[in-house]
Amino acid sequence: MAAVDPDPLARQMVGFKDFYQYLSPTRVISGRDLIGSAGFEFMKEGASRVFLVTDEVIRGTGLVERVEEGVRDGGLEVAGIYDQVPQDSSTEVVESCAAAAEDAGADSFLAVGGGSVMDTAKVADAVFTHGGTAREQEGFMLMPRDGDGMGRPLEVAPLACIPTTAGTGSEVSMAAVIKDHEEKVKLEIADFPLFPRLAILDPDATRTLPPAIAAATGMDAMTHAVESYVSTDWSPHQDARALQALRMIRDNLERAVETPEDEVARGNMLIAANMAISIALGSVHAMSHPAGAHFGVPHGVANAIHLPHVIRFNAEGGDDIADRYRDVAELLGVESGGSGADVGDALAGYVSGLVERIGLPLRLSQVGVPESGIPALVEGAMGDGTTLLNPREPSESDYEELYAKAL
Amino acid sequence: MPYFKDADEVYAYIGKLFEDLAQDEELSPKFRRANTVVQYRYREPESVITVSLLEAGDGRVDCGHTDLEPEVVMTMDADTAHRFWLGKVNVTVALARGQMKAKGPVAKILKLVPLTKPVFPRYRAMLEESGRQDLLEAA
Repeated sequence: MAAVDPDPLARQMVGFKDFYQYLSPTRVISGRDLIGSAGFEFMKEGASRVFLVTDEVIRGTGLVERVEEGVRDGGLEVAGIYDQVPQDSSTEVVESCAAAAEDAGADSFLAVGGGSVMDTAKVADAVFTHGGTAREQEGFMLMPRDGDGMGRPLEVAPLACIPTTAGTGSEVSMAAVIKDHEEKVKLEIADFPLFPRLAILDPDATRTLPPAIAAATGMDAMTHAVESYVSTDWSPHQDARALQALRMIRDNLERAVETPEDEVARGNMLIAANMAISIALGSVHAMSHPAGAHFGVPHGVANAIHLPHVIRFNAEGGDDIADRYRDVAELLGVESGGSGADVGDALAGYVSGLVERIGLPLRLSQVGVPESGIPALVEGAMGDGTTLLNPREPSESDYEELYAKAL
Repeated sequence: MPYFKDADEVYAYIGKLFEDLAQDEELSPKFRRANTVVQYRYREPESVITVSLLEAGDGRVDCGHTDLEPEVVMTMDADTAHRFWLGKVNVTVALARGQMKAKGPVAKILKLVPLTKPVFPRYRAMLEESGRQDLLEAA
């Protein structure tokens, strides 16, 4: 009997996956008092003259000074510090950062901050190494390569990250997003060399994290875990990470928000966020990206608002999808029996309860999104790449309904 | 060995498909909601198709030389493009593997992907009508 050609467009949720690719090239070290050994560890990745990238808020906490000491204690030099990264970084910031690193005679980058700082360091590293403008780095798998452009990608200067929030996971991802204010677009850059060589997870780096930010970034991590587990781009490798991340979020998120001095909870949330990150996401992110772009809704807050609604929508999309949500529900101690709608409702209720307990808003109208904004949000969600990875294919009217419910 | 022997063959089939879509009263307005200009740069054989999907104006398809300024550039083997239009390529997987490379605001193109599904039978029918069973069987 002839083998049946699998339909490459089918949303395959079970069985032997037709194709997946898993990469985790970043060396992750986690533990206490690692800031002081930043230099010792970064030396192993080829760093010598380190350029620190951060923002003014982080610098004001005194953390950067401790990182500097850690770099020098390891026998490395601090070539310079760039602390002008804003909340949403831009092409101008990236180019200014790369130029400052070159002027300082740096040979490596160390990012100390959240997603914007780490993404800035990644793209600045690409500009620093390969030249050109920040805008010219844009694209998927388009960084310079051996051969005719199809071979091994050329390495960039060593990059290490010390995340100061527990959510984005950028310290172990190959993607970066920066704004191009002139063109009024967000540039997405993704390729293997952008994986940092080293990620240092030390709860001391999140010691001054305000509870509201801990809550929002924690919900970002939870969304990464849930969405990557139910994405059409799921993989057994990522499943293992996502489920363990969810266990750790279940046990530590509320503690980290309610008791900021709880070092164990903060440390475990750093690890959970690190494990949860994936570029295989879904409609929660598709809905949150335009909410951020059009109305400035912080990414983690937007995810927290959208997640329950997308869970309900997806769980009714078929038994194979509902079964994936059942796994999540069971792990979180939520009733996982009944129909897809039942499990979706129970899990969505759990998420809403958590969001409320950690003090985040539950509705878009609470964060400045007007009803008149829905058409633009729908347009943005339909055009977001993560829509293609959602387990249930959403239509424009589905998104209209989801945003209306979230309003 | 590549499916298409030269650029003219690419234009005769894939280019023709784009031209047909540009004339389609139902599909063309939907594709033009992307409001962008996409250039498809194919390897083996080297060929370029540039498609204007601007909301204002009629759809326009240039095979080879063009004076259109592309906003999004998609690069791939012509074989991959052929397999895509036969419904045999998952775009997200192809992007992840580097079989398709994208530059520019890719989101504008990704949202068109669901619209392409009804086009697959049309491409297949066009090849059958042209007597190119070989292209159907090769992919």
